[in-house]
Amino acid sequence: MSRRSLARFVALAAILSMFGTSAAFTPAQAADQVIKIGVDLPVSGADASDGIPTQNGVTLAVEEANTHAPKGFKFEVDALDDAVGGVHNPQQGATNIRSLAADPAVMGVVGPFNSNVAAAEIPVSNESGLPLISPSNTNPTLTKTAKYRTAHPDVITYFRVCATDDVQGKAGAEFAKTLGLKKVYVIDDNETYGLGLANVFEKDFKEMGGSVLGHDHITANQQDFKALLTKVASTHPDAVYYGGTTSTGGGLVRQQMASAGMDPTKVKYVGGDGISDEEFIKVASDAANNSYYTVAAPNAAKSASAQSFIKAYKAKFHSDIGAYSANGYVAAQVIIAAAEKTIKQNGGKAPARAQVLKNIQNTSGFKSIIGTFGFDKNGDTTSPVIALWTIKDGKQDFVHQINVSAK
Amino acid sequence: MELFIQQVINGLSLGGIYALIALGYTMVYGIIELINFAHGDVYTLGSFFSIAIIGLLDASGRLHGVPLLLVLAVALAGSMILCGIVGVLLERLAYRRLRNAPRLAPLITAIGASFILENIMQLWRGPSPIPFPSVVPNVTWHFGGVNLSSNEVLVVVMALFLMAVLQIFIYNTRLGKAMRATAQDRDAAQLMGININMTIALTFFIGSALAGVGGFVSGIYYGSTWFYNGFEAGLKAFTAAVLGGIGNVAGAMLGGFVIGMVESLTAGFISDQWATVAVFLLLVLVLIFRPSGLLGEVLPDKV
Repeated sequence: MSRRSLARFVALAAILSMFGTSAAFTPAQAADQVIKIGVDLPVSGADASDGIPTQNGVTLAVEEANTHAPKGFKFEVDALDDAVGGVHNPQQGATNIRSLAADPAVMGVVGPFNSNVAAAEIPVSNESGLPLISPSNTNPTLTKTAKYRTAHPDVITYFRVCATDDVQGKAGAEFAKTLGLKKVYVIDDNETYGLGLANVFEKDFKEMGGSVLGHDHITANQQDFKALLTKVASTHPDAVYYGGTTSTGGGLVRQQMASAGMDPTKVKYVGGDGISDEEFIKVASDAANNSYYTVAAPNAAKSASAQSFIKAYKAKFHSDIGAYSANGYVAAQVIIAAAEKTIKQNGGKAPARAQVLKNIQNTSGFKSIIGTFGFDKNGDTTSPVIALWTIKDGKQDFVHQINVSAK
Repeated sequence: MELFIQQVINGLSLGGIYALIALGYTMVYGIIELINFAHGDVYTLGSFFSIAIIGLLDASGRLHGVPLLLVLAVALAGSMILCGIVGVLLERLAYRRLRNAPRLAPLITAIGASFILENIMQLWRGPSPIPFPSVVPNVTWHFGGVNLSSNEVLVVVMALFLMAVLQIFIYNTRLGKAMRATAQDRDAAQLMGININMTIALTFFIGSALAGVGGFVSGIYYGSTWFYNGFEAGLKAFTAAVLGGIGNVAGAMLGGFVIGMVESLTAGFISDQWATVAVFLLLVLVLIFRPSGLLGEVLPDKV
């Protein structure tokens, strides 16, 4: 009996220590104390071409930070995958954030990539006080309403360094106008991100005098879009607007347009950043050309300060940067800067997560390769940029970009 | 009207694929009353095998030397044989020992087998959609405002042809007779000298080979596949088999076409979101008013 109660005591102590704050622990060894930067992105399957280039950005930021880390500390990446069966999964995301929150060495997390995953993660982050900085979530309700801040509605633990869909959808509508499109058919994937973006596009495109011939939703894991696309073709649109990601059907819809009687060289395809990945070109194959999309981040290649980042990225990963690599890099830098500042405030002692969170909240005038920015009272970037891209000869091609902070 | 005809064509080709899968469901159920949930994944494996075989012939440069039809014939035959072998292995390794167990046990085993196959495919080719080599030229004919493509014709013709062959096999050959006898009364069949293990394995082989054909034509028809395709396709095909009257070959075919059509017309004229709802609603209605399916066989009571 006594052995059993001892075992219980040990187990309890172990559980309690998991929830203890990092301040309670002062490691005895002389080795550098590890500060972990968590990462939660989809890095397998159809979403891997979104997640991996973004995660690479984080890796690079952490490596650079270690070249001049505060004495006695070193930074490490703790990366988790939120894709299940190759598609971003909200439940998996929430599980990942719970396990990262349980590790007191994790000071902040870069991620998630997808808005519906964020909707599941923000409550966990809000309750545990673990800062989340998303490189790419664009759904406006994530920050602008308190609906996901369930435990502490007035505490901001979730931030983002990209623009939101209220401006991305509008930019898409303006883009469609400048392309000379008059009649557009809207399709979305019925997810937090896709549906939200498609609705904004539809509203703004109509306000600008365009006509929306119809608006349909597709469901997850669907393979056959011919019936829907035959219906779309019968309305003779100039373009199809797709709100959603490649992994939820964005590539297949484009690929099947031809067999439903819409010539992809004549009928354009317009979308948001959900189709900004290489996977889209792979899945849609020849039909990928003549597609246009918006990205809620600036094109780093156009920024003078980003050139060394691009060079370092190429040297390390032997590939070009992805649409959100620079954002991943900058999101990690924000957490690192906040941690370093906290160490300085503590006189060289280990930072506590709550202090780091406070410093992230107070980020302002932060100079980065995606511009100088801070976070507003909701956790949104003060300098949102929308870039416009097209696909030409099977390659992504930059058109131009606009800073939408004034609007 | 043109739009309606176009959607009927879409529905027929979609239904043809469902029908090819449903044949396997119905045959296996007919003989050992097992709902083989892994069958949808065997269908996906058919696409994977076809892609691998075409890739192999293409990579070795032989594709340019030999006529296209031969390559396709090899891919089709290879996919059928390999899927057939997978089916036989499933029966031998997973289901045979449970043949006399309570019915829940093989059912759950089938679901487990489905997970295993899905994960093997995910490990093999990764979880992204895989493009099917576009080696088959897709010719489109125009009749007024209606377009008909050679791929659509291929799917429907293939499904009808194989159903006919299967009917002839079941009703006009000795092996077919053995299958029918085993389905009717396993013990009596054994007493009459029928090797029931062999007969059941043969049923699995044929059913899975038909799924292999389904995988091959769907690869050509859609131009891509991914490891998880079989789940939803399998579910719809199972519905088709039940709708037509499970255990009935012609019923599976009819059920497949009806479901393809309902899905297509709902997506085309109501909303894409309601397509799956309509399919399962139809299933519920049929089960209420004709519990044994549209062409449901009236089974003699086993006393």
